Amino acid sequence: MSELEQSLLRRLRERDERAFRELVEQHRDRVYNICYRMMGSRTEAEDVAQEVFIAVFKTIESFREESKFSTWLYRVSVNHCKNRIKYLARRHDRDRDELDENSAGVNGAVNGMPVRIAQPDRALEGIQMEELLREAVNSLDEEHRTVVVLRDIEDLSIEEICEITDLPDGTVKSRLHRARLALRKKLQKHGMS
Amino acid sequence: MTQEEEDEVIATLSDYLDGTLPTDTKPAVEAKLASDADYKRILGELKETTADKEISAVLKARKEPAPASFMQDVTETIHKRSAGRFFGRKTFGDRVPFSALLVVAVLGLVAIAYILWSSQTGSLRVDKRKTEGSSVEVVPKP
Repeated sequence: MSELEQSLLRRLRERDERAFRELVEQHRDRVYNICYRMMGSRTEAEDVAQEVFIAVFKTIESFREESKFSTWLYRVSVNHCKNRIKYLARRHDRDRDELDENSAGVNGAVNGMPVRIAQPDRALEGIQMEELLREAVNSLDEEHRTVVVLRDIEDLSIEEICEITDLPDGTVKSRLHRARLALRKKLQKHGMS
Repeated sequence: MTQEEEDEVIATLSDYLDGTLPTDTKPAVEAKLASDADYKRILGELKETTADKEISAVLKARKEPAPASFMQDVTETIHKRSAGRFFGRKTFGDRVPFSALLVVAVLGLVAIAYILWSSQTGSLRVDKRKTEGSSVEVVPKP
């Protein structure tokens, strides 16, 4: 760990606001990008990224300097994203249940309507590959999405990903492979890749 | 082949492709590749996905920067939640720059020195009459 990083950590532990600003300045784009790719929404990404920095500042005492600070920061980011994804999934299920109950009670004809509003734009030609990829990444399950985001988007090493996810080397590699295969399949459906 | 077994094979063959497989296990893996269809299939898939730089390039190229107001938003959130107590208490020296404090201190010293100098009772001015008067007899001789 560099002297600058050590000094920043010491000041963060002393609850120095300027140190906090430096920390945010240095890492905000990367943390936000991880959150955006994990959450698939800018609004959610901004909320989660904010929570990440607040949590890091609050729990800086628990950082034992056994890994790089950035690795620890990304680990906090990934964990926050996973928690948020789980929370949103639970809320989505609850909302759907409520909607089902309401629609069953009000009118039988409503049952025939799809709950999700179709997005006709999606199927049109001319959708950019970036947009398709974003959707393809979002459609991966959380475990596979995490390794793809960290490896193929953030360009982190397998060792770093193992530290962040707390998974063994072999599991990270196999998840990465399965995730890449799934992405390829989804893109091939749209005649890409 | 179960999923766990396949995961193990994927990890081994990833190392084989990366050239990080231990030399003593390499012959066994190559023998498996020559005889086992699953090994061959997985190696083929791994080669395809590793060589597929297009997906990775597109994903890397479109990094999403944080919104311009991010710093302000996160600081405001912290202040709101903690009612200003989140950050450590600032000392006077943190709020006012040291150079400004130094200038004020020097000006103060100069002002005190001037007051003492101009004062009739100040100790900085040498009173000649007093020094001369020291030889004058205060109590007249009887």
